Amino acid sequence: MKLNLPLVRLLVVKDWQLFQKQLATYVLAGIVALCFLGLAESWAFYVGSLMLLIVMVAAACFSISTSLVVERKEQTLSFVMSLPVSPLDFTISKLAGNLITFAVPFVILLGGTLATVLLTPLPDGLFVYALLIFAYILFAFAISLSVAMSVESEGWATFAMIGSMVLINPYIMALAQIPDIDQRTRVDAVVWTLPAVGILISLVVLSIAVLGATTWFHARKPAFN
Amino acid sequence: MSSELSHERVHYLDHLRALAMLAGVLFHAALAYSPLMSGYFPTADRQNSPWVDAVVWGSHLVRMPLFFLIAGFSAAWMLERRGAGGLFRQRMRRIALPLVVAWPLVHWALSASTVWAARSVENPSAVLALVRYLTELPDPPSAPITLAHLWFLYYLLLFTVLHWAFRTLGLARYGERAIRGAAAWVLLGLPLLVAPALATVSAPHPAPESPLPQFWAIAFYGAFFALGAFVHGAPDWLTRARALAPWLIVGCCALYAAFLWRLDAEPPGEAHPSASWTVALLEAFLSVWLTVLCLLAGQRLLQRPSATLQYLARSSYWVYLLHLPILFALQYALMDFELAWPLKFALAGAGTLALCLLSYHLLVARTPLRRFVG
Repeated sequence: MKLNLPLVRLLVVKDWQLFQKQLATYVLAGIVALCFLGLAESWAFYVGSLMLLIVMVAAACFSISTSLVVERKEQTLSFVMSLPVSPLDFTISKLAGNLITFAVPFVILLGGTLATVLLTPLPDGLFVYALLIFAYILFAFAISLSVAMSVESEGWATFAMIGSMVLINPYIMALAQIPDIDQRTRVDAVVWTLPAVGILISLVVLSIAVLGATTWFHARKPAFN
Repeated sequence: MSSELSHERVHYLDHLRALAMLAGVLFHAALAYSPLMSGYFPTADRQNSPWVDAVVWGSHLVRMPLFFLIAGFSAAWMLERRGAGGLFRQRMRRIALPLVVAWPLVHWALSASTVWAARSVENPSAVLALVRYLTELPDPPSAPITLAHLWFLYYLLLFTVLHWAFRTLGLARYGERAIRGAAAWVLLGLPLLVAPALATVSAPHPAPESPLPQFWAIAFYGAFFALGAFVHGAPDWLTRARALAPWLIVGCCALYAAFLWRLDAEPPGEAHPSASWTVALLEAFLSVWLTVLCLLAGQRLLQRPSATLQYLARSSYWVYLLHLPILFALQYALMDFELAWPLKFALAGAGTLALCLLSYHLLVARTPLRRFVG
């Protein structure tokens, strides 16, 4: 099946324009969070890192909610079906639109966080830890996006979003139980341990696999349903 | 006038930007002979003069604010002509790429020349003496990673993102409303807005060299960037501000005298880690008023195309990128010479400018590099 690329582009631009205001808010909040981290004070570190987490989780949820759940509720799909667009075009546009709107704050904040760890008196061991946290947010985003694309129910989509994001708490606690990860966060050096690398690779591979499987599944659909 | 500005090259802004960049080279050269900086600047010479302090801190208050004001004007101009996509691509090509390429090179060059000077110079500055002590330790610490003088590129990128965010959220309308009112409101209100930011750092305000964004620098320089963007939308503001120019000149003379007096009483250091509110207010008013005066003077005197100024404008970006490693190397080499400080200043300043302009002529002016740094 051939992609109608100009139309996919238009659909992505539409999602981008709808999401722009929220994205601008998240980028502003993210820069404020990085400024807090840059103060290199312990209280500012906690305020900044908490803000970063909130911004990332909110950015992931809002992008999915605006482009899929709300759209479905407002019957936008009926309008899209009147366009010369196949299920594959629609899937790719949703995937690309969400990935772009999520990737912009994700990349900026990931880069900022890693720079903070490396360039301030904070222990460099937090570098790997920060990567593990961001990898989990990526994974939770992939799960939420896949569920929202695959189910019709708003309830299940919301459950997947909230559930996967809230699970970051037990995930952080679980990381604290692994001595090879927890002890390294206090060391002023970037140390790659086997558990850390294993978790990181697993989360990234799983995220890609989940998104790939969702795309493959939708690409095979002959019609919207 | 707005449409005129939109479609024609605004020569005086190009020329002012070039002069601000070149003033930066002379400013950095002069810091080596500033009594106030003798304990903090790596190339601080044995000789210094209070006359240097009397001049350089005035230029410090206006140089970068003027540069950011022009940058804000240019960003709004480009946004109007080429849209957000065009502005983004231009910023990537002209700012992000040069920053990524130049940063490691500048860091390496400054570190290498400083370590060489710490080992070789017989009359080292306080900073060089400290570097010498640290490098002789069995386990010497690595040099702190800073953006050096390239911090302005980093903040330009940051302000481009903030500019987009503020416009998208519709927050720019408050500034647009203020700029359409009486010019005096901005001239009195803007200093009051930026003074709290200056009160959180030492006076004279330092360069925000950390790779992490700093609240004070965003508030201070961001205010000038925003003013530039707003002036683009309401260019008649300059005409209205011109009527107040005589008052601004008198005010600046009085405030600068007060600033130097307070600076002498409250020198930066452990006793005064951040500026007092008095000094912060003086800095804020001087920055805003001097910057606006420079803009008005530029509009009056520099609008006519000039081959020399245009060449300097084209080369100024390259010169600024390159100047600090060359300047430091020359000043380190001059440290042990028994020459009067004005002569050393002239040799270092002229030598740096000559080498930078020569390299521009050979490497940039007629090569593809000019698309990036020309």
